[in-house]
Amino acid sequence: MSLLDALHNQRYRVEVVEGPDSERRRLLDLGITPGEELAVVQSVPLGDPLVVMIRGMRLALRRREAAWIRVQ
Amino acid sequence: MRLVEAALAAPGNDAQKALPHPIETRSHPDTVCVAGPPNAGKTALMNALTGGSFHTANYAGVTVTLSRGKSKAEFGPQVLLVDLPGVHSTAAVSPEEELSCSVIEGRHHSVNPAALIVAVDATQLERHLRFASFVARQRKPMVIALTMMDLLPRTQQSVNVRKLEAALGVPVVPVDGRTGWGAAELMVALQKEMVNPTTQSALVNVPEEPVSAYRVIRELLTNNEALKNKNPLVLTQDSFTARIDSVVLHRLLGFPIFFVVLVGLFSSIFWAARPFMDLIDWLFKQTGHWLLAILPDVALSRFLAEGVVGGVGAVAIFFPQIVILFFLMTLLEDSGYLARGAALVDRPLSYLGLHGRSFVPMLSGFACAIPAILAARTIPSRRERLLTIWILPLMSCSARLPVYALLLSALLPGAAWKAGLALGVIYLSSLLAGALVAGLISRFILRKRSASILAMEMPVYRKPLLKPTMRMTWSRASAYLRRAGTPIVVISSCLWLLSNFGLGRHQPASPDGARSPLIAASDLDHSFAAEVGKTLEPAIHPMGVDWRVGVGLISAFAAREVFVSTMAIVFHVAENEDGQQNGLLENMRTATFSGTSNPIFTTSTIVGLIVFFFFSLQCLSTVSVVRSETGSWRMAGLQLLFYTGIGYLMASALVVGLRLLGVD
Repeated sequence: MSLLDALHNQRYRVEVVEGPDSERRRLLDLGITPGEELAVVQSVPLGDPLVVMIRGMRLALRRREAAWIRVQ
Repeated sequence: MRLVEAALAAPGNDAQKALPHPIETRSHPDTVCVAGPPNAGKTALMNALTGGSFHTANYAGVTVTLSRGKSKAEFGPQVLLVDLPGVHSTAAVSPEEELSCSVIEGRHHSVNPAALIVAVDATQLERHLRFASFVARQRKPMVIALTMMDLLPRTQQSVNVRKLEAALGVPVVPVDGRTGWGAAELMVALQKEMVNPTTQSALVNVPEEPVSAYRVIRELLTNNEALKNKNPLVLTQDSFTARIDSVVLHRLLGFPIFFVVLVGLFSSIFWAARPFMDLIDWLFKQTGHWLLAILPDVALSRFLAEGVVGGVGAVAIFFPQIVILFFLMTLLEDSGYLARGAALVDRPLSYLGLHGRSFVPMLSGFACAIPAILAARTIPSRRERLLTIWILPLMSCSARLPVYALLLSALLPGAAWKAGLALGVIYLSSLLAGALVAGLISRFILRKRSASILAMEMPVYRKPLLKPTMRMTWSRASAYLRRAGTPIVVISSCLWLLSNFGLGRHQPASPDGARSPLIAASDLDHSFAAEVGKTLEPAIHPMGVDWRVGVGLISAFAAREVFVSTMAIVFHVAENEDGQQNGLLENMRTATFSGTSNPIFTTSTIVGLIVFFFFSLQCLSTVSVVRSETGSWRMAGLQLLFYTGIGYLMASALVVGLRLLGVD
């Protein structure tokens, strides 16, 4: 499933990161790598971006970016 | 911002002062670069190592250009420290990242470090060590400065520095840049490393490719027990930060809190700065009078007293606002709130083709476009950065305030609340106009969507410390003075010459038969400026005003508020301390087109002038800063033509339209 469908404050494991090359590379560089655990910890009033916790970091991701992250 | 000079101002640094502006350190034997990911505490470290004033901020990506300083003498042999912009990804996206990568990889034309200090946030070991491995692969002497150690208990982690050092094979020194703790030890380790570099670093063997790089780093950390992570993922979230976020990013409260913060910021810019601005205004007026009184009555004295002192005064008057703005912005950055603000408004702004981070420049734009344009450097994609810079001149900067104040009191005499309300409408409209222009341009002109990504780190909340905040405020404010000050002083001096010298045709010859090109202060009608104004009169005719207002509009290109003082000159207001504005209003009310009894300032022409100032890019300093920030005259020139053209067309159309509707 996509990270967009993830329940808040639940642990998921990154399966694969999709998206255009440069954006995908950026997400991988930030440590969003397959096998890593992450959780959506906060949403923002307009529902976009999402705040994701990964590798001890809070990261604001646009829904468009979150959609590229497949989790399980 | 070029923040280097302040650090070099210490006595005994003459050799450094002589360095030319583009940083030339390739031949310097002891250049040490401070590198790291955004938010790793590089700049605070720079502060501690140099004792200088550098930018420290808890907002990813604030160090945007190379700043440098000499290490403090007490730390042993001095080195020249250069602070590199933060790097998220070595597949460089923003120009700042590209700059850092080129320095680290030894590709930069002028900065070639002999050694590197890599700032690594102890709470973000995996990500930050991956960056350190990129540096290590360049095989230059390096030392890791381990920052944010004080935050480890909050994230329920513990780092064993000795074991970490053993695991990595690189010297690791814990430091706290904000207090200076560990700085001396860091410099000792650096000196040792420069003399006798470590040859076996495990970091060199970390692969470049991110997925395996992260795997290798995790293995390094866990196999050597360097990092103990009690709650590996979700629960490592610092609950203090989580609690604040659940309020400031709350579904219902998020935006109200954001607006309260913004309103607070704005009202302080205007109300708290007022007394200081009045004081500065008074000081410069007094200095002018005093100079006129003591200097001989020649052209040069008047030039000094009115042109130069007046020009410097025009810059200085906004200094209190700029200082307050920077102080509060630095507080917000350091606390971590600014990143939340950017996240809040990213959705609406990205709809307009902008970026969440565009909001900081837009906010600063309400004080002055120049720091705002500089602040746009933190926006990662070029397209979004240029679009942000493009709309910044629309934000109602404080130089427009005196102009609006004058015109609104002429338009709505008596009722202060009406003028206040109108001013509020103008401010809000400037934001809406910016949104409209950005939306239209991103829909119809800059349609090609280049890679745009938010992926913005939300730093943990920290209590800002007063001293670093003050230092930062000062270095930003003085950078503003240098960037904005010089052009304004030069341009306003030139305009003074133009409005005080004429061909002298209309002058009665002086007793010795010579004609002085200097005209009397009251004789602006015969100056070069007036000649230009009269020549241009047909062009401004559609706006329903005469050449005298035209001279005011031209002089406003030095700085918009100069319009007010020029109007006082062209409408012959005698200088009588505090009554100037009332005198000016009276003279404006009775002013007529020469030879007729038609008043110049009617409802339609005043509204037209307000609209003109609303759009027009009457600020040559802005043009020059846009040029230097975008690297070409093209955008700066287009912007000048576009906004001034729109201002002119809108004002003319409005005047004609209102008159057709019977509003004079």
